[in-house]
Formats: sequence, structure tokens, C-alpha cells
Amino acid sequence: MKIALVGQPNAGKSTLFNSVAGYKSATSNLPGTTVNYTESRVHVNGNVYDLIDFPGTYSLSATNEAEAEVRKYLLTGHFDLIINVVDASQLGRSLPLTLELMELNIPVLMALNMVDEARRKGIQIDTEKLSRLLGIPVQTTIASKNIGVRELFLRAKNIINGQEPVRQKRILCQRDVEAVIEEMEAFLKKHLPEKIDFPMRFLAIKLLEDDNYFLKTIQDIDGEPILRKARELQKKLVKLRGKPQDSVLTLERHAMAMDIYEQVVTIGHPRRDIRDWVDNIIMHRILGYVILVLVLASFFMVVFKLGGILEEYLLSGFEYLEKGLLSIAPGDSLLHYLLKSTLWGISGGVAIVLPYLVPFLIGLNLLEDIGYLPRVAFLMDAFMHRIGLHGTAIVPAVLGYGCNVPAVMATRILPDRRDKIIAAIISSMVPCSARSVVIFGLVAFYLGPLWALAIYVLNIFVIAITGKVLTRMMPEVSPGMVLEIPPYRLPSFQVVKKKTWFRIKEFIYVAWPLLIAGSIVLGMLEYFHLDEWINLGLSPLTSLLGLPVVVGTTLIFGVLRKELSLIMLTQALGTTQVISVMSTNQILTFTIFITFYIPCVATIAVLKRELGGKWMLFTVILTFTIATILGWLVHILSFLG
Amino acid sequence: MHSKFDQKTDRELKDYYMKSLLDVPANRQVRIISIAGGKGPRQMLAQMGIGVGSVITVRRNAPFAGPILIENHGVSVAIGRGVAAKILVEEL
Repeated sequence: MKIALVGQPNAGKSTLFNSVAGYKSATSNLPGTTVNYTESRVHVNGNVYDLIDFPGTYSLSATNEAEAEVRKYLLTGHFDLIINVVDASQLGRSLPLTLELMELNIPVLMALNMVDEARRKGIQIDTEKLSRLLGIPVQTTIASKNIGVRELFLRAKNIINGQEPVRQKRILCQRDVEAVIEEMEAFLKKHLPEKIDFPMRFLAIKLLEDDNYFLKTIQDIDGEPILRKARELQKKLVKLRGKPQDSVLTLERHAMAMDIYEQVVTIGHPRRDIRDWVDNIIMHRILGYVILVLVLASFFMVVFKLGGILEEYLLSGFEYLEKGLLSIAPGDSLLHYLLKSTLWGISGGVAIVLPYLVPFLIGLNLLEDIGYLPRVAFLMDAFMHRIGLHGTAIVPAVLGYGCNVPAVMATRILPDRRDKIIAAIISSMVPCSARSVVIFGLVAFYLGPLWALAIYVLNIFVIAITGKVLTRMMPEVSPGMVLEIPPYRLPSFQVVKKKTWFRIKEFIYVAWPLLIAGSIVLGMLEYFHLDEWINLGLSPLTSLLGLPVVVGTTLIFGVLRKELSLIMLTQALGTTQVISVMSTNQILTFTIFITFYIPCVATIAVLKRELGGKWMLFTVILTFTIATILGWLVHILSFLG
Repeated sequence: MHSKFDQKTDRELKDYYMKSLLDVPANRQVRIISIAGGKGPRQMLAQMGIGVGSVITVRRNAPFAGPILIENHGVSVAIGRGVAAKILVEEL
């Protein structure tokens, strides 16, 4: 049973998906976070389902890359059923997509999600009537609390097996518009030169909507007469409704949706929501920025304080263990090197990375889940315009603070390729959680939290300049921002916990073994004195930056995973007390270099996939150059100061 | 021949009795008369049910700074100033 989970951004698809599939998909209160499909074989009620979680899409018209892909896959994926996840508190806005999905000739089952939220807003939905009007089954769910999910999948099975009969209707437009669609459909059936597998009516509607992708498809098969007919009928629609051809049918669908909405919904008295009042302050044009700074500053302070306490406590434990090693193996034996480097690999993960990573991720996920991030986009729109982008581009950039890989993928929500390229390059420069670990573990720990904050500010500054330069290089008017601002939500403890664990798990299973292996490799290099050669090769760079020659090898490890360079640093220096061998200036230089130079391997790979090899290479060279210049500047300044 | 959605026509009409969304102060209701510019923004707006003829409420409009926040059937949408400048409206 192959089932597609489709819905608008923020409707709770990923939450639903995760409630049955364990934690595999990124959920957040932020439009556009699931940008690639997550596919999972799940077992519910003893049945096996192949479940595909699609990125959120407002409609099946492709206004950006993410949407174009949803549509392509839906048309070609041979699905047995579409589960249309709908935010019950936003039913009116969600129904147009449902109407479009019903044109695909695949059975549709509606999951009317977040009914608790709707009730809170005073919205009562007559689900039976909704189901009758649409001719599709409707199941209410509260995915975040796992309510109604079992029933949903049971019904999915029954529909696919034919046990629950579904008489899916065709929802027709008003007669005059409908006649135009039918004319187009009839023309297509007659003149389509090749057998095309798309549902004819759907194709007809899309051609009338002036959809670039389908226009090109028809052009590619020499369908000139069809295109001519489409243009002729478009003019007719424009005349009928007095709206531009590229939006007349979409708006028609919205009108139909509102009509259905009004028939099934009774709006009681919404409890006068404190949230409106909150937004007045949070999105205020002066107070908003004050709050933004306060939120970010306190976020970093908490992470630093918590992390610092844990780090110190844990490191002292490991130092004790390390002393014990001497009693097992003498200090210069191979065994000692082996044990010591293994221990450092382990302690690096437990004592240095996790103390900062865990609170950092919990904090970021909380902010995301509450819905603060789109407000940041709103507040930052003016700033982003300064660097030639618009507010939507802040979404990937903010995600970048967690991890650059999903951030670069999230640039797909930008409709314009040039915006996408710039946003992707910028996102890969944002200090991700791994780089934050280095910043916290070195600079905040040894120089104080204000210095760490200064690095973040410097980073934003450098990013702004880079963005400005890049937009100058590619002068073009960007289409501007149209971004939904979702309502605040109470963060679900379950979701935040799962999401944090998702990233931590990735660290434990992927990065940590790499870290331990890297540590052992470095230990062995040291034992056989091979590291000296690498360090010698890198000595032009390290001496330019005024860093100890021994840190050369650690820079190479940093390309694999940024945290590695921190752990490797302690190993290369032979002590966890970095301050005893490096001056504060060297620590600062090192951290700045690590923060800015070449993105990690995973990010490089995703850059190549999203932008192509040329831009990937460009980013690598660009970031390396920026890092070297900045590192050198800090080094020079230390002489003056 | 100019169609109804031609930029030039828009500009001429604007001189008479219409204004762009940028000129609407907060907490006013307006009806959209036309949306100029490319089809990209127009389709993005249409997806959220916003198009010619829609009645929307301006929630927030800080002069010279940041996007315009509007509300349409209970959905808040932030519209960048570039796009907003191309949306012609009449106040209700």
C-alpha cells in the first residue's frame, strides 16, 4: 500500500508521519521545512504501509521548485491513496488543495488535523457534511497527541481494499468556467499527439492556468495547436472573470472552497486570543527588534552557562581517567597512544560536544515550534533587502544554525534561482550547531561569552557583506516575499524531544564514531611522527594565522565534521587545557578560521546537489578565502592590541 | 492594445483613484483591484486565496520598514514591500 501524505505547509504532515514512523522527518512551525521526501515503511494495526511524506504545498501549481517536485512525484508515483492532511483551524485556506488533489484520479482521504486548535478558536466543523459535499472520507486527528491516527490508517487500508466504499465526486466549477475547462479537456483528448499519462482534466486546468511546466511539456511534443487553443480559452476566462489568466482558476478554486467552508463551519466566539496581543509586541517595529536581540542573547547565555558547567565537570572526570591510563601502559608505548586517543575521542563527544549541543538544539527547536522563526523573517525582511534578498531567505539561514544541510535544502522554497544560489551560499556560512560547539567550547569557555557573541555578530556582518557582493554580481530584481505567518503554538514536549533526539542520534551514530576514529588516526600519526609532515605542509597557512604548527592536522579533520577540529585540537596539543598552550588570540583566530572556512563534507555534497559543481566549488573557495583573511586580520590585530 | 492588466494602464488608473498596498495604513480593509508584475508573485498570492477582487485587512504597515502584514480569511501573510507596491487596492 503506497500512501502519499500531502498537505499545506504547517498542517502537521510531518507530525503525523512521525507519530507512526518514529522520528525521520523534520517538523516545525515554519513553512517549508520538509523539502525532500521521507519515505518509510510503517506498521500500524499490524498492517504494512509505504508512507511518503511530501513537502508542504499550498497548491499543485508550481511556484517554486519544492512544489514542482511534489506535483511531479504525485503524478508519476503510482500511489494507492493520498492522505490529505488539513489544518482544521485553517480549513478555508486548505480546501483548494483538496479540490486539486481530487483531480488526480487517486482516492483521497482527508485527515482533519489539529481539531483541538480549531475548537480553541471557536471553529466547529460538520465533518459529516464536509465528507458528503466533497465525496471523500474525513477522519479527525490530533497528530501531536496521537489521537485518531490509528483510525486514519485503518480507514486508509479499508479504502484501498475496497472495504470502505468511496464515491469520489467531481467538484465542478460554475457553469461558465466549467464549460471552458470541458472544452479544453475535449480538445486535449482529441489532439494530444502522444499518449500522456496525466489525468486529462487536471492537465486541461493546468494549461489554462498558464502553468510553465505543462506548457513546456506540450511544447516539447509539438502540441502547437493545443497551446493555441489554451491561449484562446485563457482569454475567454479573463473576459468571464476579469482576472489575469495566471490566477483566475486558482482564485475560482478558492471561491469554491470558501463556499464549501461556509456550509460546514460554524464559528462560535473565539476566545479573544492573547496571541494577537503578543504579536503586537513581538512584531512591533521597535520593540520587536529589542525582543529579538533579548531572545537570542538569553538563548546563547543559557546554552553557554549550562554547557560550561557540564563541560568542566565532565572534563575533570576524564582527566582523572587519563591519569589512570599511565598505570596500565607506559607513556611512550603504542598501547598508551592507542588508549589515550580512544579515550579522548570518547571524552570529546561526551564532555565537549554534548553539553553544548543538547541545550542548543532544545532551545532552537523550542523557538521553531512556538512559531517565532517566521516572525524573525518578518522582522528581518528590511535587513535582508539591504543585502539584496528578501525575508523568505532568512528561513534557510535560520535553519542553518541547527545544521547547514537542511538549510541548503530549504532554499528550494525560494522561487528564483538567483535568490536560491545566494541564500544557499549564505546558509552554508551560518555557524551550525557543530561550529557553535567550537565557539562555545573554546571562545566562550576561555575568553568569555561576550567574545562568543561577538563572533556571531561578526558572522552576521560578514554574511551581509557577502550577500551584498553576490547580489551585485548577479543583478536581478527578486520577486519579493510572500510568506505565511503561522499562529503561535504551544510547543509539544513530545515533538521537541523527538526532534532534539533526532539530531543527537545523528551525532552519536555518525559523527561520534568518526570522531573516535579520527582521534585514533591522529594518535597513530603522532606515534609514528607522520603528523609532522602534514603540519609541515600546512605550515604556510598556520604561520600566516600565527597558530601553533601542530594544529595543522586538526584543520583537515574539520572538513569532515566541524566538531572534529575541536577534539583534534586537544589531542594535537596534548592537553584539554587549551589555554596552557595557546594564547587567547590564537584561540580566537583558530575559532574564527574554523567558523568560516570550507563547509563540512555533508554540506559540500548538498551544495553540489542543489546548485551544481560550479557553485559548490565557488562556495568552497569563497569561504576558505574569507576564513583566511579574517583569521589573518585577527592575528595582525593581536599584535597591535 | 492594452489589456486591463497592463502596467501602463495600472499607472494611469492609479493616478485617478487607486493606491498601492504600501499606502494603506494598518487596520483598514481594502479590495484588490489589480496585481501588476510577473506571474510568479501573482500565483504565489493566488495560492493563498489572494487575488483580484479579494477583500483583505492590512494588519501592520510600518512606513519605510519591513513587509506589510495582511490578513485574509484568518490567515496572516507577510508581503514584501516590492510585491506590495504592485498591488493596487481601493479602500472600503
